[in-house]
Amino acid sequence: MTEPAIEIQPERARPFLQEVTERSGQILTACYQCKRCAAGCSVGDETGGFTPNLLIRAVVLGDRETALNNPLIWKCVSCYTCGTRCPNDIQTARITETLKKMAKEAGIEPLQPKVADFHDAFLHSGMRWGRVNEMAFMGMYEMKNALREVRESNYEAILEEIRTQAELGLSMFRLRRMHFGFLASKGRKEIKALYKKAKAKKAAPSAANI
Amino acid sequence: MEIGYYPGCSLKQSSALYDLQSRRIFAELGVQLTEIEDWNCCGATSAGKLDDFMAVAMPARNIGIAETQGFSEVVIPCSACYSRTLVAQKRLEASPLLRAEINENLSRKLNGGVRISSILEVLIDRISAGELKPKIRHKFRSLKPVCYYGCMQTRFPFDVPVPDDVENPQGMETVLKAVGVRAIDWGYKTACCGASAAVNDPETSFNLMAKIMKEAVARGANCFVTTCPMCQLNLDAHQEKFCQKHGIAERLPVFFITEILGATMGISPEALQVDRHFVDGTTLLKELEQDESKQAK
Repeated sequence: MTEPAIEIQPERARPFLQEVTERSGQILTACYQCKRCAAGCSVGDETGGFTPNLLIRAVVLGDRETALNNPLIWKCVSCYTCGTRCPNDIQTARITETLKKMAKEAGIEPLQPKVADFHDAFLHSGMRWGRVNEMAFMGMYEMKNALREVRESNYEAILEEIRTQAELGLSMFRLRRMHFGFLASKGRKEIKALYKKAKAKKAAPSAANI
Repeated sequence: MEIGYYPGCSLKQSSALYDLQSRRIFAELGVQLTEIEDWNCCGATSAGKLDDFMAVAMPARNIGIAETQGFSEVVIPCSACYSRTLVAQKRLEASPLLRAEINENLSRKLNGGVRISSILEVLIDRISAGELKPKIRHKFRSLKPVCYYGCMQTRFPFDVPVPDDVENPQGMETVLKAVGVRAIDWGYKTACCGASAAVNDPETSFNLMAKIMKEAVARGANCFVTTCPMCQLNLDAHQEKFCQKHGIAERLPVFFITEILGATMGISPEALQVDRHFVDGTTLLKELEQDESKQAK
């Protein structure tokens, strides 16, 4: 069996590589595929063999589709083992984090929408009140989740999720690990102003971008 | 002695027992933890996944507050908050432009200078100062813990001088040794529990936790000790489920380091609120005390 040779068109590949390099702050071309990241990857067994080195290769070759739509960027738990062990200091978790953002901007439906919903609900709860209220943000997350399942008519998935969360919630309640008060920080005004700035920066990237 | 204290959101909610224990242990050691004023969420890993600027800006506000309040050191028990705050501090040091941009919006601006410490660093300092030894009331010789550090205590997404060995950290072992407890060496100290994946991708997270549990059991541990509220809650709250799924018969309590320290100082499990665990830890602590008094006779 022969597989078709990969056709690389450097002039097409380069802008994508450049964008990922700049936004993640990682020098992807320093990767020589030693696979130490793959060996250490916490979720390496969960991604169907799609390891951090392959993700870097996809970006370097300009394979935008694969890079923005693969199990690793959604399964990555940001444990930073890959980057700690990389002989060339490439922090692949920063790359998966960057590609998540790029996938969102490109309007690509996440392979694991629950992951995207979770982080969205968490950060926005933290920015809205200045502190994360676990019950409120979990409620927000479950709502987003349920709405999506309704759109896809996965009613069984909704029931299952309710069952699981209710069971956990009840145990947490019994163990007094649920908090019924409300946390807030006056500093949320400053946080909101900073977020406005972050959005403006995204619209007009400058040298101060990190 | 007074040091600044950043509890973070989880120590005010699901892990409030860790907050109570930390204040109590440090009070015993003569350290008063003073919460920094009006602190905000550090952004956790979510900020890094959604917005790089906010991942620095959110902890930056807290650092600015700690500095203007005049603290020379701030202790952050939660590993995620510790990691995010330390990384933000280093990034701001590396980029004066970014610092100026963030400072523009902060009422309490940051200049640099405050030391961001994990709970282990502060404890080790107190031990070196000889403040722990006189407080020890019990010796738990039959405690066989594995120290579980998880990800955020030693691995950072930015070049930060790590105060411990990245692959084989010793901070918790050092603290336990000071109270006469020898921790079991094992290979999953810095493995990942899956963190928030326990909520949004439980299958992955349960697979990771089962590996950690199997190794701890194989080494003969009778409990986990950790500093991270996320690791504690995950291994504790989901243990029944992932053990059933992976055919593991044993169950191990998951202690915060503050619970072991408190118990050896003679503080009762009730006062430490050990009864707020999913996997019972009170029985083991009481057994250890009984073993000790038997040995003494």
